[in-house]
Amino acid sequence: MDALLPSLLFYAFAGVILGSAAFTAFARDIVHAAFSLLFTFFGLACLYLYLGADFVGLSQVVIYVGGILVLLLFGVMFTGHQTQETEKRTVNFYWGLALIALLGAGMVPALLKAPWAVKSAAELPEAKSTISSIATLLMTDYLLPFEIASLLLLMALIGAVVIARGETKTDEGESPETSA
Amino acid sequence: MGNIESLAYFIPELILTATVLAVLFADVLGGEREGFDPPANFAFVGCVAAFLAHFTLYSLPSTPLFNGILIHDPFGAFFKGFFIFCTGVTTAMVIVSREVARFKKGEFCVIILCVCIGMCLVAASRDLLMIYLSLELMSLGSYVMAGFSRKIGPSEEASLKFVLYGGVSTGIMLFGISLLYGLTGGTSFEAVRSALAGAGSGIEPIAFLALLMVLVGVGYKVAMVPFHFWAPDVYEGAPTAVTAFLSVASKGTGFALLIRFFFSVFMQPAEGGWATLAPLHFDWGLTIAVLSAITMTVGNIGAYPQTNLKRLLAYSGVAHAGYLLMGVSLMTSTGVEAVIFYLVMYLFTNMTAFFVILVVSESLGTERIAGFRGLWRGAPVAAFMMTLALFSLVGLPPTAGFVGKLYLFYAVLQQKLYWLAVIGVLNSVLSLYYYARIIKAMYLETSSETEPAVHSSPLAGLILIVMAAPVLYFGVFWNPLVEYARYCAHLMQ
Repeated sequence: MDALLPSLLFYAFAGVILGSAAFTAFARDIVHAAFSLLFTFFGLACLYLYLGADFVGLSQVVIYVGGILVLLLFGVMFTGHQTQETEKRTVNFYWGLALIALLGAGMVPALLKAPWAVKSAAELPEAKSTISSIATLLMTDYLLPFEIASLLLLMALIGAVVIARGETKTDEGESPETSA
Repeated sequence: MGNIESLAYFIPELILTATVLAVLFADVLGGEREGFDPPANFAFVGCVAAFLAHFTLYSLPSTPLFNGILIHDPFGAFFKGFFIFCTGVTTAMVIVSREVARFKKGEFCVIILCVCIGMCLVAASRDLLMIYLSLELMSLGSYVMAGFSRKIGPSEEASLKFVLYGGVSTGIMLFGISLLYGLTGGTSFEAVRSALAGAGSGIEPIAFLALLMVLVGVGYKVAMVPFHFWAPDVYEGAPTAVTAFLSVASKGTGFALLIRFFFSVFMQPAEGGWATLAPLHFDWGLTIAVLSAITMTVGNIGAYPQTNLKRLLAYSGVAHAGYLLMGVSLMTSTGVEAVIFYLVMYLFTNMTAFFVILVVSESLGTERIAGFRGLWRGAPVAAFMMTLALFSLVGLPPTAGFVGKLYLFYAVLQQKLYWLAVIGVLNSVLSLYYYARIIKAMYLETSSETEPAVHSSPLAGLILIVMAAPVLYFGVFWNPLVEYARYCAHLMQ
């Protein structure tokens, strides 16, 4: 009975994530897709909490649900979203299906039989908040990735400005060339 | 080694990071003066300083850095120099050309410097987390750079295609990395390898799956068949300076990643090279060898119908990725040496070719082979440099390309892979035709219009000579470069 409840919880979360992600991928209306993404993000946050990663789980809610998803919806609404459904065309459907079947036939047995590095309950650290240990690691062993991530964000910010700004100012009196 | 002590091994990257900040401030504070771009000039000076600083690395002993996140060895030092050199040349190309609008040059330089730091870190990573982070630093910047052209349309298309293909391949690679973590419970290469080595035979299928998934990410970076579809469109649409950068530095990153990741995680040192870990029975070398044969053939055949020079060089780049994969598939130190030699020769050759295309297309407004007809009348120097580069790409003496191919085939024959060597030689012969078509257009055909007049600044001419001289020099005096490649083939595990 002890092992049943946790695994039931896990499958419930996984079902929510997969179902809403599939809806996001197949929805014809982009706003519906964005709302469905909300459930994917929440499901992921629950999965992180279930694994004992409290900090990661809460960050997931704050950053993805609170920030990125809202930004996504704003973006959709401000860039002249018409209610008409997006056109979808499927190319190479049967080839794609065959490729997926082939990959699935290879992957699923391999994943099921894999000798995962499983830790016994005794080896796991006692359940407590992970925030202080994350902070310690970020300032010691993982200091360099932490700093490089900030460089990545700086670059992404500048890149986003370059893309979003467009051609507002022209160089040396020339208008931007348009080629066919 | 701890974080503070490691900084002595991190000077080139520190200089580059300082340059990023200097360029940002110069861009914000600097006024607009005619004929002088403070941001781009700062970036160029920073690259020169970082390149000079990287020479200090060779005298330092091989050691893990930053608590085992990075590693310092001659192999990593070589690639750092390689990437910084590419970045410097690309910045110079941006300074002398008008491809990137002047008010955007500051942003461009910030992004290319960040990409360069990412590449340097890929070559030195020793941890799954770090290698993924540095790859993203490199890829995200490249996507933006591909869209920097002033031509609206193709450049945006190139950028978008690059993002979509890149995103998918990175996702698959990340899946593979997560499988490795799940199997071994560690993120450092050392932990992953020792866990894989100590595992039972049941680990084989899943480890093979993880390996293939990582190979997708690498294959995308080096434009290996069947992950090469992005290359022609991106090469054509991106600004020529960016195309040159992607064709050389991005390919170099792919090979640094391939050699570093696979040799440190799935291999163990053996006599004269590396051998696959005992619990993994599959013949990894043969897989790569077959892929390399397919890649070079598809690349060379794909180049035949092309009429746009940048598209043609994209297919030629696919073919060259095939030749380079040949060297990796041997899993010997001779093979790694040949790859390093070939990459250096490819750097100078390809940069020369793209620089000629840049200068000529800015004057004539065309990148088509037909536009190069009768070029030798209007621009004899450019036509000669282009011919030299094309000779080197085919592998004809007395150019560096000949020596590069010679070493590569020698390494292949040493391992008695005769079929691979035969396919490689046949492919070189095959490639002669489409390279010769360009030379024919430049020298033997005449333009229907008046003589093509190519205007270029003296600075552009100087850069062109600096790029082209080593193609000839290393074709005649290759021994110092061979010695250097031999030294740089040392990987620390």
